Amino acid sequence: MRRIKDNALSLTFLVLFVLALGGQAVAGTFQFNDEQLVSGGEPVSVLEYVTSSNFAVDVAENWQSEYLQFLLFIVLTVWLVQRGSPESKEPGEEGAESDRRQLIGPYAQADSPAWAKVKGVRLWLYSNSLGLVMGAVFLGSWLAQSVAGLAQFNADRLADLQDPVSWGGYLGSPEFWNRSLQNWQSELLAVLSMVVLSIYLRQRGSPESKPVGSPHSATGVEG
Amino acid sequence: MRLPLALLALVLVTGCSVDTSAPARTVERFHSALAAQQDEAACALLAPRTAEKLPDPGQTCAEALRALRLGAGGPVTGVQVWGDEAQVRLAGDTVFLHRFSDGWRVKAAGCEPRAGLPYDCEVED
Repeated sequence: MRRIKDNALSLTFLVLFVLALGGQAVAGTFQFNDEQLVSGGEPVSVLEYVTSSNFAVDVAENWQSEYLQFLLFIVLTVWLVQRGSPESKEPGEEGAESDRRQLIGPYAQADSPAWAKVKGVRLWLYSNSLGLVMGAVFLGSWLAQSVAGLAQFNADRLADLQDPVSWGGYLGSPEFWNRSLQNWQSELLAVLSMVVLSIYLRQRGSPESKPVGSPHSATGVEG
Repeated sequence: MRLPLALLALVLVTGCSVDTSAPARTVERFHSALAAQQDEAACALLAPRTAEKLPDPGQTCAEALRALRLGAGGPVTGVQVWGDEAQVRLAGDTVFLHRFSDGWRVKAAGCEPRAGLPYDCEVED
């Protein structure tokens, strides 16, 4: 019970993620089957739908944009600040910061991660591991979106009695960029809202907010 | 889930799981039936909606197909399969197919390309 409580945030998001993905699979199957009937095709099972390019492209296009959002947030907040935002460092603290502050190399503590105590490539990799993994998942998801999107796009084109296009042709198509940009704009707006609204608004008890009584000018203070 | 998506990407890029022979065989049977004037057999290879829309009132599918006098298909020169849709290019025709639970069926035949537009087909749904 203690273990569940200690990991309640991760577990809650994991359960919500699985429920939402399952709901997407079921709702997507119904929508796909409606379209199949209209176009003279046959309905498919949920299993057939979740292994189709239609489902894959819808999942991948959302994943890539979410991971891009966090990648940008993680990396840009190293170098850029927003005065008054709890999501930002104090003005003047821009950059990778000193070894002493980052607790690496000779300043590592006894319980620091092993790769924080060494030098060279391993230290660089570990120092950037969060951004690297987010970036890798973003690129992997975007690649998956491009391939699954190509499969769906070409199936639609053939159904409309048009020639299919190549992967390169799809990467330059309005369809690919519309799918990508419509997700990116919403993620970027959400980050902008979080950074700016948290200057002036509070959520009591949330570490994503400043303490309720904290002044608007206080930066990097989390409640 | 990223690994399955990446594997899916690899499979789709390489096209190694796509069976192009089945739609090609259906098209060859379709054009062989037309050449042998077995129009009812050719009609049986049409997608249900295509077969339904083809005849004018009072006409059978076979009569409508015969009246169109589709040209000889010739040898298959290329096949593209994406999902449940396929395009089979022949020396003398381009045919579009849809995969049903009992196999591939012809959706459109006697098709001519039009720049920037869908193919113009003698038979289509």
